[in-house]
Order: sequence, then C-alpha cells, then structure tokens
Amino acid sequence: MSEKRKKLSNLDTLNEYLEEIKTLTDKLMGFASPEGPSWNTETCCLHALSNVFITPREVIVTADLPNIEPETVKVEAVDENIIEITAKMKKKVRFADLGISHRQGEFSFLRCQGRVDVAVDAEKMKISCEKGILEVRFPRKNIHELE
Amino acid sequence: MSESVKIIEKKPIPSDATMIIGLPDVGLVGLIATSYLISELDLEEIAYMDSDLLPPVVVLHQGVPHAPLRIYGNQNLIAVISELAIPAPALYTIMREIVDWGQAKKVKRIVSMGGIPIENRQSINEPEVFAAASNQELLDMLSKNGLKSLNEGYIVGPQALSMRYSISKKMQAIAILAQSFYNYPDPQAAAMALKELSKISDIKVDLSKLLEKGEEIRLKARDIMKRTQQEMNRMQKSQEYDLPLYV
Repeated sequence: MSEKRKKLSNLDTLNEYLEEIKTLTDKLMGFASPEGPSWNTETCCLHALSNVFITPREVIVTADLPNIEPETVKVEAVDENIIEITAKMKKKVRFADLGISHRQGEFSFLRCQGRVDVAVDAEKMKISCEKGILEVRFPRKNIHELE
Repeated sequence: MSESVKIIEKKPIPSDATMIIGLPDVGLVGLIATSYLISELDLEEIAYMDSDLLPPVVVLHQGVPHAPLRIYGNQNLIAVISELAIPAPALYTIMREIVDWGQAKKVKRIVSMGGIPIENRQSINEPEVFAAASNQELLDMLSKNGLKSLNEGYIVGPQALSMRYSISKKMQAIAILAQSFYNYPDPQAAAMALKELSKISDIKVDLSKLLEKGEEIRLKARDIMKRTQQEMNRMQKSQEYDLPLYV
C-alpha cells in the first residue's frame, strides 16, 4: 500500500471513530432527556421538569411544579432506583387552554420521575416546597448500612 | 451574509434602533422577557431567519405558519426571538448573521437578555441582575444608571457570541443577565431583567401581567426548556459556574 493510501486510510478510520463518538453522544443526550410528549392524556398528567443531584451525603431531587396544591404533593419510590413525584393542580388544564385545537384532553396532575442510582434512606426524606419548586432531600445510605 | 443563513425582511427596518436579543437559554429568561416586550408593545413581525442549520420546523399561530426565529420591531426597537432551541453548533453562524444584519441596519446598540444560573434560586425572593458591556464607556453608563456589573466570570452561549461579534465590529453591546434557575423557566427573573433594561432605555412596560402569568408561562414553557437544556449541555453552559483564572 502506498504511503498516501495509508494516510487516507488512517484518516478514514479517525473519521469513523469521530462519527461513532458523535452517534454515542447523541444517544446519551437522548437518554438524558428522552423524546416523547410532555403529557399523558390517559393518566391526566403533565410531565414536570425535574433534576437529580447526587452529593457525597445526600441525593436532592427538585421539580418545577407550577399551579399545584402543595398539600397534594406525593413522593414515592416506584422501585429501587426511581422516585416519582405527583401533585394535583389547582385548576385543570385543557389542551384548549394552551391554544391547542388539534388534540383533546385535560390534565389534573403534574408528575415526574427521577432516577437515583445510589442507595438512599427514603424514610428520612425531607420535603420542602417554595415558589412551586419542590425539593426532596434523601440521606445516602452509608456503605456499612448497606452491608 | 452566510450562505446557510439569511434574514428575510418583510417590512421596512428602522435604523438607529435598539436591538434586543432573547434566544432560548438559562431559565428562558431572555426569551420570556423579549416575548413579553413584543406582546406588550404590540411589535409587528418585520423579518425572519431562514436557515438550513435550523431543524425543518414552522410554528403555527392562529393557523398561520411562522419561522421559529423571528424579528419584531417598531420605530425604535428591534426584538429577536426564537421559539426553537437553537442547535449549539448552529449558534455561531446564526449569531454572526444577526450581528451583521444589525450592523447593516445601523442599530444603535445590541442588548442581549439572559439568565445566570444560581444554585439556591428558590430561596431568593428577588433575583439580582448583572450587566456586561462591550467597552468601558458603556460599562460606566450602566453603572451610572444603577446596574451592577458582572465583574469576573464566564458568559456562554448567545450573549457571549453577541458580545464577541459586536466587539469585532466596533458595535455597542450589552448583556443583561438575571439570576435564575438553570433549567426551569423563570418568569420572575425575566421581569427583573426587564426592570433593569428600563433603567438604561426608553423601553418601559408594566411587569405586573408577566408576574401574574408566571405559573402559566412555566407550564407552557416546559417543552422548549427541555430542548434548550439539551443544547445548553452541548455548548458547555455549565462553564458559567467556573471561576476564571486571570493573574
């Protein structure tokens, strides 16, 4: 193989790697924020925006919950790694209220799920809600507690 | 003008106007603030951007299709908004085109509105607003009018590029940045940013409606916020938390 062809082939391999990295990055970005509607007409839920922060001592889950009745907030562990937050809205929201005429449905709840990939003590969670931002703090389980 | 992006004018464009840029970014502060200005001042659509760098999208309003990145205006004001999260790689070309177009239209000044992410935002009653300017003279003017300056730190995204390209063209540019949630829509921060804008311009609007409609805006803005967050991750927006090294 000539020197020039070898160089071209190296360049092609590099390009293939870059393309692969790009595909993987896009895939990861997709996982971080999956596609799909931000509502579910069957469960009458609008999906709320949320974040999960993992610190050395605790896990903090926050959710943007506008237009809710704070006393209706529920925080539940769906399984070992998923925390679900639901809250009833003060007023039902219909697609028509959002200016949408080509869909039908109304929503009474805001809901979101947060993935928590470390062990937490769900019984010691602390919940606060300020200006429609819910904050749930879970202490992390120590290694000796897990053992 | 770049081949891949062009601004199509629909109406005569005023010269010597202030150009406000409110593109989707941290807390959607700039977008919410600028959209509110457009609605309160009843600005009309004067131009829009056509670009292969943007996704193939039109936005329907009352049955009529519109380009997602549009320019509104009156005799003194030009306002740029996008109802679409701008793909991070396209941001350079798009911002360069907006600034070039502004220069061609002889705008007096470019004011880019946005948010500064702050971790404990929910415990802050009234977000503070900071400003940056393209030269010392402008910075002095901001300070004289009571605006706090952003002394040290990084700005990432549309505001950074509007500042960079304006400086290279010797145009006046200001960034007005309100403390806000990173990835939750923040209408209160938008109201605070507009309040500061009114101190350095004749652009004065009643902010009470914006604050009253805060919860409704937060519900409506969830989707664009989610998509904007993906683009902010791509443009390494979290660098705004970094401390700069300048010895």
